[in-house]
Amino acid sequence: MASHTSKAFLSLGRINVPCLRLQGFVNRVTYATDMTKTSYGNDDLREKSNTGPFREKTKRDAGEPRTNRMLLDQDWTAVYPAATPFRSNSVPLPVRMGYPMKGSVPPEKKGNLELIKIPNFLHLTPGAIKKHCEALKPFCTKWPSALDTDAQCDQHFPIKVESTDYASAGVSVRNPSARIIHLRIKLSSLNLDDHARKKMLKLVGERYCKDTDILTITTDSCPLRQQNYDYAMYLLTVLYHESWKTEAWEAEKTVADMEEFSWEDSPSQKNILDMLVRMKMAGEEESEEVREQLLGRKEVQEYKDSVTRLKNEGESESTMLQYKEAVKKVFNL
Amino acid sequence: MAASLSSRGVVRLLGALAKSASLCSSSGGRALHVTAACCKNRAARVRVGKGDRPLTYEEAHHPHDIGHRKGWLSQNTSNLKGEGGAADRTMEDVFIRRFMFGTFYGCLGNELVIKRRGNMLIVCALILHKLPPAKMYFLIGYSEYLLSHFYKCPVKLDIQTLTSKAVYKYL
Repeated sequence: MASHTSKAFLSLGRINVPCLRLQGFVNRVTYATDMTKTSYGNDDLREKSNTGPFREKTKRDAGEPRTNRMLLDQDWTAVYPAATPFRSNSVPLPVRMGYPMKGSVPPEKKGNLELIKIPNFLHLTPGAIKKHCEALKPFCTKWPSALDTDAQCDQHFPIKVESTDYASAGVSVRNPSARIIHLRIKLSSLNLDDHARKKMLKLVGERYCKDTDILTITTDSCPLRQQNYDYAMYLLTVLYHESWKTEAWEAEKTVADMEEFSWEDSPSQKNILDMLVRMKMAGEEESEEVREQLLGRKEVQEYKDSVTRLKNEGESESTMLQYKEAVKKVFNL
Repeated sequence: MAASLSSRGVVRLLGALAKSASLCSSSGGRALHVTAACCKNRAARVRVGKGDRPLTYEEAHHPHDIGHRKGWLSQNTSNLKGEGGAADRTMEDVFIRRFMFGTFYGCLGNELVIKRRGNMLIVCALILHKLPPAKMYFLIGYSEYLLSHFYKCPVKLDIQTLTSKAVYKYL
């Protein structure tokens, strides 16, 4: 067995010497293995004497575990100041872990590998956390008193930029997902008139959320986070300026391009006016004033409101009810 | 018209497949598949003996107990979703286990537990009282130095000593 160990060490030495330039290394190794050649289980065959080439191996007792000398009011943060694996001789708790043998209890903590495998939080007792907070307090500043509500924060800082940092266990800190930037802004904080807002919404498409009025620009096309941030700010600037410009071809906007339903000059208006005109003057001459007068009537206005609401908001209980009432009133049912 | 065309095409394809299958079976194209013997019912299982062989908790439980009665010997984030470097960490673990087994030959009381915390490698070992303390300290320092040079990261050895192996049962 000793020769085996010496071979192992020598082979290690051969591999490592070119890497590490430790010149005396191999010699030191062979010297060490020579020393450990004494008595591996040969004690009973030799005489039990403490001199000569066959010395009895001095038994090394385990020292007293530290737990025996621990006071009840000791400073636990001194025992576990940082995250360390579980040490059975340092933790004065009679923990047991493992699946018990039949008719037995879980194995004790001494030599228990299961307790070492799991992460422990012995270094994060409430007292330890208090100490951390006390140590960090001098470096902290108070939150600005002017920013006490969300609305205030939105008013002063309308653009919110979100980026993620990744920490993992390994030799490299690089993570390609860390370059992604999310830029969020409420459109109400931008200075847009009606045409600009409609054009902005058309340009932006999916990135706008109607419920929260937040435009989200996500950039990940550049390799670095700073580049993605600059690109996102550039996109925002360009969108804003482009939506204020009116191009020549925008005059060709058709009804199909409209975002909302507008009742003026729609088939619905024509239909209802035709119907009312025919009802009112069967056989008489119709003229523009008749139509104007009909438009001015309250029931027709209500009908217009209900149809607009139905078309814009979709079908629901309240919109259908409103439409029903309006139709009943217009036709005096 | 497009639908009828595609259905005709599918029928033709199926017919062709059937013909080729019948051709194969009739001409006798047989193959012999050989794989390495997968002794997955013998892996990491200590066979029952006379009752005088002491086993630690780790050796006594079989691999299917990992996650149920046994924990994991190696902890790092590389096997989580979206994380990389799993192969590198595994190779590092394999080397570290062999290295430590050879360095502390006959002194290791149980398997090594390897933890990674950020950049740091923490090797937890249970060591028996076989070597004098001076040699023990030398070997610990030597392992830490070499391993941190190999892997270019701080390597910490967390050693606990035992007088004898913690026996769970005898097989």
